Amino acid sequence: MFKTLIEKELKEIIGSTRFAVTFGVCACLIVLAFYVGARNYQISQTRYEAAIAENFRQMEGITEWLNVNHHIYLPPNPVSSLVTGISNDIGRNIQVQGLGELRAEDSRFNNDPLFAVFRFLDLDFIFQIILSLFAILFAYNAICGEKEQGTLRLTFANGIPKDKYILGKISGSFLALALPLLIPILIGCLLLPIMGIPMSSQDWGKLALVILAGYLYFGIFLSLSVWVSGLTHRSSNAFLLLLVIWIFSVLILPRSAVLIAGRAVDVISVDEISAQKSVLNAQIWREDRDKMNEFKPSEDTEIDQIMQDFQKMMQDLSAERDQRMRELGGRLAEQRRNEQSVQERLAFSLARLSPSAAFSLAVMNLAGTSIDLKQHFLDAASAYQQSYASFMREKTGGTLKGGGMVMVFRRDGDDVTPKEIDPQEIPVFQYQPPSVATVFNASFLDFGLLALFNILFFAGAYTTFLRYDVR
Amino acid sequence: MLKLMILKELKSIISSPKFAATFGACSILILLSIFIGINEYQENVKAYDTASQLNNQRLAESLSWHGMSNQIFRKPQVMQILVSGVQNDIGRLSSVGRYEGIKLRRSSYSDDPIFAVFRFIDFAFITQVALSLLAILFTYDAINGERERGTLKLTFANAVPRAKYILAKFLGSTLGLVIPLLIPILIGILLMLLYRVPITGEDWIKISVLLLTSILFFVFFIAAGLMVSAMTRRSSTSFMILLVAWVTMVLIVPRAGVMLAGQLVTIPSVAEIESQQAAYEQSAWDAHYDKMEEARIARRQQMANMTPAEKEAFEEDNMWGWMEEEEASRKKIQGEISDHNKKLNEDHRNRRSEQERLGFSLSRFSPASAYQLACMTLANTNIMLKNSYEDALNQYRDGFLAFTSRKQEENEGTSGIRISIDSETGFSFSGSRGIESLDLSEIPRFDVPRQTLSTIANSTILDVGILLFYTIAAFALGFFAFLRYDVR
Amino acid sequence: MNETLSQIDGSGRQESMLVAAHLSKRYEDGVLALDDLSLAVAPGEIYAMLGGNGAGKTTTINLFLNFIDPTSGQAIVDGIVTHEEPLTARQKIAYVSENVMLYTNFTALQNLDYFARLGGQNDYSKEEYRTALLRVGLQEEAHGKRLRDFSKGMRQKCGIAIAILKDAPAILLDEPTSGLDPKAGLEFISLLDDLRSEGKAILMSTHDIFRAKQIANTIGIMNEGKLVMQKTTEELRGENLEELYVNYMVSGMAVAS
Repeated sequence: MFKTLIEKELKEIIGSTRFAVTFGVCACLIVLAFYVGARNYQISQTRYEAAIAENFRQMEGITEWLNVNHHIYLPPNPVSSLVTGISNDIGRNIQVQGLGELRAEDSRFNNDPLFAVFRFLDLDFIFQIILSLFAILFAYNAICGEKEQGTLRLTFANGIPKDKYILGKISGSFLALALPLLIPILIGCLLLPIMGIPMSSQDWGKLALVILAGYLYFGIFLSLSVWVSGLTHRSSNAFLLLLVIWIFSVLILPRSAVLIAGRAVDVISVDEISAQKSVLNAQIWREDRDKMNEFKPSEDTEIDQIMQDFQKMMQDLSAERDQRMRELGGRLAEQRRNEQSVQERLAFSLARLSPSAAFSLAVMNLAGTSIDLKQHFLDAASAYQQSYASFMREKTGGTLKGGGMVMVFRRDGDDVTPKEIDPQEIPVFQYQPPSVATVFNASFLDFGLLALFNILFFAGAYTTFLRYDVR
Repeated sequence: MLKLMILKELKSIISSPKFAATFGACSILILLSIFIGINEYQENVKAYDTASQLNNQRLAESLSWHGMSNQIFRKPQVMQILVSGVQNDIGRLSSVGRYEGIKLRRSSYSDDPIFAVFRFIDFAFITQVALSLLAILFTYDAINGERERGTLKLTFANAVPRAKYILAKFLGSTLGLVIPLLIPILIGILLMLLYRVPITGEDWIKISVLLLTSILFFVFFIAAGLMVSAMTRRSSTSFMILLVAWVTMVLIVPRAGVMLAGQLVTIPSVAEIESQQAAYEQSAWDAHYDKMEEARIARRQQMANMTPAEKEAFEEDNMWGWMEEEEASRKKIQGEISDHNKKLNEDHRNRRSEQERLGFSLSRFSPASAYQLACMTLANTNIMLKNSYEDALNQYRDGFLAFTSRKQEENEGTSGIRISIDSETGFSFSGSRGIESLDLSEIPRFDVPRQTLSTIANSTILDVGILLFYTIAAFALGFFAFLRYDVR
Repeated sequence: MNETLSQIDGSGRQESMLVAAHLSKRYEDGVLALDDLSLAVAPGEIYAMLGGNGAGKTTTINLFLNFIDPTSGQAIVDGIVTHEEPLTARQKIAYVSENVMLYTNFTALQNLDYFARLGGQNDYSKEEYRTALLRVGLQEEAHGKRLRDFSKGMRQKCGIAIAILKDAPAILLDEPTSGLDPKAGLEFISLLDDLRSEGKAILMSTHDIFRAKQIANTIGIMNEGKLVMQKTTEELRGENLEELYVNYMVSGMAVAS
């Protein structure tokens, strides 16, 4: 009998014109999302390569390692191109010097504000909207619609247990909708290798988890719709209610949550930090200048000795300045990080009341484009900075560029034509996108939430239906 | 009779329980969006003030006139409360100094990516998403719902002209939905006054135009709801169609249009342009050097058979000419390079604007994009914001640099710290500007780029026109569909 | 009314298939929809409930189907108390609702198949569905059509076919003739006669006094939740049922006021 119930759902849904139309639209959009993601990757890859080439080209003909202006870039990643997250908002370009603070510049949206006007069309967005609406459209009248049709009465005039019926209803609708959706998703996946996107096995793993998250999200809205359908007696009311829930879940709640948390928790701004730093910097400079003025070598010292002494003093001053700046910078950065994490916790806890936010956070984490991306990139860059610094130290014999620059040149007559540097010697920056295990851990909470929403709404639908008045 | 029918519409809308619920939700959303906007604005103003102050402090500390670098922050605008546009996406500040080109850097989203995760809520967004849906919810069954209930038959059993009936439907629904919604909007504007947002006369005009555009957008969805309702027999069908249309118009078409334009018109990245320019520069100079080398060889050959004295005389005679020759060639190359660079930059800009034009034209198939574009233009938070700021900053930079150079000359001396160690004079140290404080009021002020009302009007008129066209078309189609509607 | 029940029990007739024993239903809003109803329908018998709107006919049917629980008393199907074992009881009931609305996206055959399976009949062939549809008077060319294009009468016929296919010993009919044209009504009456001779116990509610008199073995008149009259067709022979009905309505109202 259970089989009969499921079969009926399958036939009823798939045989309807409503299904043909909406499924066609959804399928097109899903494939479109994959296509846009793939193209996005290709474009980003070209730009990334051009940027690196340009970086090296600028070093051509340079004879002093100290004059090197080295930039590193965040490489594109296929999964990140499918789920863009904040990757278009943060800078992708960092100028590396041996010392000093790193700052990522040139966000895509800043460079191409055209794409910021209406935002990006990615898998996250399409799944969030399409999967939820698709579920609502086919399940809003699951129960009250049958009641309106009178078929509920007729059905329960037979010896059908209610629990079996509701189970059959939900699993039947899920199968009838989820299985067809696999087709465009698989076509989309197939599109990636066809378009020559280099997907590693790690990437496939992440993509599979993204799709899994999509199905969990779909299940949430399906059971929610059945639940609401069981709470109301007219399908138009159920639809209205679901639509309001949908708007709030997809469009309102996540945004308001973050904005409210932004107001509720004060975070020291980047401007404030840089202001404080520049105040300290100026103060140190004043002090240093006095010290430099005080530098008075004794009359009979050799000129070489004076130079060495002066250089030593400058180096000491520079080291001290660096030390103090680093201290302040570290302190402020830590304060900011702490405040940010409080803000973030509040914002995302509030936002996670909405299944769409939980889904979005889950897939962003999976794709490595959550707000942690900025920190990851900067961390990778600082690690790289270390190796770059030791490389430069080796090349220049100890002087590092960064913060304030002190250059000591000595002119003593014989000009030697300096040799050009070989930029290829510079250590290569490699950004390792987080592994499947890491991203899964990061998105574990959201997966848990998605599952919880499923269970909750299913239980709601189940218990409500057991008490539903079938007349 | 028209009045009677309009009143009936009003009553049936306002007394329906779904009105109470949805109107409440929309009011809360409108107020929330304005409240968040005000807060954000005030926060921005505060940040702007501190930043400018600190910048002045920093300027006062700077070591030389020559190396002085001014930081200009983008100034918050009142209209961003209602339409945030791309203002969080584009850079907030640019340095203006001798050694840096103008470039807006550090968007607030890149500084605080947490806000980029789910994006912003503003009035334009709420109108686009919530109010449009509200309009659909109240009109999708306007005609076919009455047919299903049998009231349509009953109505037309009386001597009621169809044109009057559909007109009454349209006017009734418009009045019944627009007037209640004005309440939260007006409260929101009152809120802006209460929070002492400095609204200028110009802003009031913009706000009123924004409001009218929003109403027009809202009315479009009323007309579209009526149209679909008059074209279908069953309300469930019309709802389905409208919902799919809504998702497509509000969420898909705007993005897809821009994405498509991005695929169709590819623009090279800045790095690519730069490397193209560099390559050209390199080859031009190489050619130049080769030519000079050839000339030198030719001269040497000319002089090969001369005595040293003749040589000297010959060189003496011709040196000036040679130098001029070389100089001319150098100048020519320089000119060519700068022409070429200019051309490349221009090409780049043209392609970019071509991409933008195509993207926006494609997305304007959706009234939601037209509305969004109109709002952003009105609020001056559209993509022009970046260019207009950068242009203004470039202009300012010229003035600023001229000023600092003049100052530097007045103060005499070179820039930077100078430390010289000489075997005769020994060690000396100098900072050129001295430590005397600096009169900040002398520094040229940066004028925020303003768009006059007429330019704004010119650039919004297209989108408002498109909206108007869509609305009239939807209403006309609905009107004629209803004239032939089978009331049974 | 106690006598009614004991009369039936004591009359030595075959044991009843459908029995209502002192059945009462008071809704949450306080309305007493059914007041101490007792009746019995034996196999091979048709019982027709007459009564105005709100007389309690549909409540009675709902109680037999256990869509609602009785406030007191029992509804019994084949010896099974419905609110104790609703699932087993329902297996013994076929039901046709007042306004049959089936799955509009399914064809008549698909609807029949689904509901036959739900009723526990898994082995019907397509031919048997067609036979059943022809038996209720639905033309062959309509069998493969979707229900949304059906008229009210055609849907009603499908509903009746579903009830026949379930092959349950008891049949509950809620205003079964309301959507049928006169010809179909006549066919339906003869169909009921067939079912009766097959030994089904049939309980129907109807407004149609003439049809009721023509086909029923027993007629009960209900008013405001009470069974105000119950007579066999033999007892009614020669009486003007219409007059009786109106009288009972009026007197019922008088009692009520």
